Amino acid sequence: MKNHHNQTMIIKQKKATLFVVFFLFLCFLGFSQQSKLDSIISKLRVYEERDSVRARLLVNAAWNSIYENEQDAFVYVNEAVDIAKEIQWDWGLVVSLRQKGVNYYVQRDYLSAVDTWQEALKIAENKNVKDKLLIASIYNNLGNVHADFKQYAKALENYKQCLHISEQVGNKENNINALSNIGYVYVDLNKIEKGIVYFNKALLLAKDESNKRLIASIIKNLGDAYKLKEDYNKALSFYEESAKIAEDIKDKYVASSALNSISELHIKLGKYDEAQVYSEKALQLAKEINTVEWQADSWKLLSDVFEKKGKTKDALKAYKNYIQLKDSIQSEDKKVALTRKEMAFKLERQEAKAKAELEKEKLYANLILTAAIFVVLGSIIAYVLYKRKRDAIEYRKIAEFKTKVAETELKALRSQMNPHFIFNAMSSIGDYMIKNDLETANEYLIKFSKLIRSILENSEKKWISLEEDLELTKLYIEIESLRLKDKIFYTFLIDKSIDVENTMVPPLILQPFIENSIWHGIAKKEGKGTIKICAKKNEKHVVFSVDDDGVGRKKGLKQLPNHTAMGVNITKNRLAIINNQDGFNNSVKMIDKVQGVRIEVKIPLELRF
Amino acid sequence: MLKAIIVDDEQHCVDRITKLLKKYNSLIQLDYTVNTVSKAKQYLEKEEPDIVFLDVQIYEETGFDLLRQLSKINFEIIFTTAYESYAVEAFKFSALDYLLKPIDEEDFDRAIEKIKNKTSLTELSKKMETLFHNLKEVNTSNTKKIALPTLEGLTLVYIHDIIRCQSDTSYVHLYLKRNKKITVAKTLKYFEGLLEAHGFFRTHHSHLINLSMVEKYVKGKGGYVLMQDGSSVEIAVRRKEQFLKQLSGI
Repeated sequence: MKNHHNQTMIIKQKKATLFVVFFLFLCFLGFSQQSKLDSIISKLRVYEERDSVRARLLVNAAWNSIYENEQDAFVYVNEAVDIAKEIQWDWGLVVSLRQKGVNYYVQRDYLSAVDTWQEALKIAENKNVKDKLLIASIYNNLGNVHADFKQYAKALENYKQCLHISEQVGNKENNINALSNIGYVYVDLNKIEKGIVYFNKALLLAKDESNKRLIASIIKNLGDAYKLKEDYNKALSFYEESAKIAEDIKDKYVASSALNSISELHIKLGKYDEAQVYSEKALQLAKEINTVEWQADSWKLLSDVFEKKGKTKDALKAYKNYIQLKDSIQSEDKKVALTRKEMAFKLERQEAKAKAELEKEKLYANLILTAAIFVVLGSIIAYVLYKRKRDAIEYRKIAEFKTKVAETELKALRSQMNPHFIFNAMSSIGDYMIKNDLETANEYLIKFSKLIRSILENSEKKWISLEEDLELTKLYIEIESLRLKDKIFYTFLIDKSIDVENTMVPPLILQPFIENSIWHGIAKKEGKGTIKICAKKNEKHVVFSVDDDGVGRKKGLKQLPNHTAMGVNITKNRLAIINNQDGFNNSVKMIDKVQGVRIEVKIPLELRF
Repeated sequence: MLKAIIVDDEQHCVDRITKLLKKYNSLIQLDYTVNTVSKAKQYLEKEEPDIVFLDVQIYEETGFDLLRQLSKINFEIIFTTAYESYAVEAFKFSALDYLLKPIDEEDFDRAIEKIKNKTSLTELSKKMETLFHNLKEVNTSNTKKIALPTLEGLTLVYIHDIIRCQSDTSYVHLYLKRNKKITVAKTLKYFEGLLEAHGFFRTHHSHLINLSMVEKYVKGKGGYVLMQDGSSVEIAVRRKEQFLKQLSGI
């Protein structure tokens, strides 16, 4: 076993703990600790039913055979685990797993032990196993393993869980063990004062319980603490007390250890004779309980004593014994050291794995969150796009509808133009017939019908080429000039930049203005009159102007007949619609000149190609 | 001296032509006026006039009915009509002369001028053939024929054989099926007016295409079309929207 006192004591404490747990377990089962393995085995032979009774027997058999025959112990405990699983006996499964962990521990497969105990705890938690003491005992065992491997933080964590549960259920012995173990971890961490506090708490409880075995252990532990503090006198008195109690209850384990410690302190204090007495006593007890470590410790102490006393021959003999025993321990030690390294490595890996798992979970969580965000964002974007598209469609529909309304309106206006124009033509012909002979009136009528035919054809269209429109306009002016007997001179000034074939205009947009100029400007004027029609363009517009040198508006307006005004008004409305469709407000400007009127009409530049 | 007759059921129209002919009395002699198809037929089977002024609508019959009943047509015809648009189209397709009523003096003078350069008999029969063909197929625009005056004379073409028309200064090239090409001294606008109602579309300043001959439209600013003969024709940006509307309407 261990060569170092402190370690040994912990092992001792652990053993005690394991015994305690087991003892409780046996009480439950109704067996005594002393039950012989043989009797259990014979019972197992008879009782073959795979139920809780057999499972308990198997766990019991495992415990009793573990130090003698590890293989058998595993056979027993594995069957117990299987049965517990088969009959879904959660408590039994946890108990079986705890025993399996003990098996591993004894076998020095510490990592498997830790795994198995952790599995047991997990099942206890998941299946809501209510046996608190059972859980506490597993925490205790886990604490022991971690303390063995100097993983103090983990050890403390487990011991404190054990302590917490023990306090809750009021189990004093477990409570004392936990306090004592925690105290020892603090001592190992060199937080000696804190360790002493825990030991004292444990001691107080142990005294309440009058548990001498525990009292002896704890006092021994206190001695170790003071020795570390180099308060040798105090340490010595604790060791002596511990040894006395242990001898009283025949706990040779604790007694032997305590006596070795007393011997060690006597050497430090130069009392070699006393040192020799105590170490020889310790050696005697260690031999009785057959603990190699203790014997080795005693031989080492004796060797030191003989050396100090000058008995070199005895010293050498003692040292030889020490070395002999030490070798057997050291090979064990090496094994433990190796296991420790392996375990530390495995634990580290486990932790890294757990950490990786945690990070993986985090990553998954993040991924899910990200995905969720994307889904939400995607939905929002999809909705926005959908809405935008729908709005666009809606908007287009509205725009189309508006266009349709506008076009219908335009068509209505154009169709109004026709009767208007015909009516004007009739007046014109009538006028002609009064003033001229019927023959000429007939000629005039035929010309007019030709014009009307063209107008009817073209006025159906929304746009005609400027070329066609100018031809139509010319035809109109010619007929008017025929009626007014060459009273009219007219000129067309079309800017060279305008491609008359390719530029589109609303049909006969200028006609009512020209008509106005002729009827109310030039006709009323004495002598000849001139009409000048110009077209210019810029980037977006075509600007027409109609200039006359007639009598002007004021004079003309007085006699302006309704139908003429109507022609102008209809055209103004047409222009308003056309310009509004194309998004700008143009319009018609009427400018009174000194002599005559000037009209300006602006329309959007519409190209065919 | 040319001999003329007038076939018309309305007296004022007869009077109008009579009056307009007065100034040509040294050239044209009005031989006869008649107001029914049957009487006109009787006359034409015996006599051989040079010019016939033929009304389209004569009571319940038409001037075309009269022409169909004749074994041979060996005279110049000037159709007169008020507004029968189908007839006007038929005249245009056949390159035949016509006058719209009431008849304008200038138009009349122009028609007489043309008659002075006497049309050859083969040309006349071609025109007649086209006219009757188109009148027969009056409801199916695809099988209509068009008489095209070329340098060699009149060429008759099914309009459904025309793939596209392309203007080239004062000429128009018509690209037909089977890699044929005809060049005519007309404007593209003239063909546009004639063919617009028969599935043709002005895609560009210098292009008029038969929409039923479009193989594929390739997107672009305006884009272009591949025609069945493998040629590609540009679509003007401003015509794109209207073009796509028309194309999907087929």
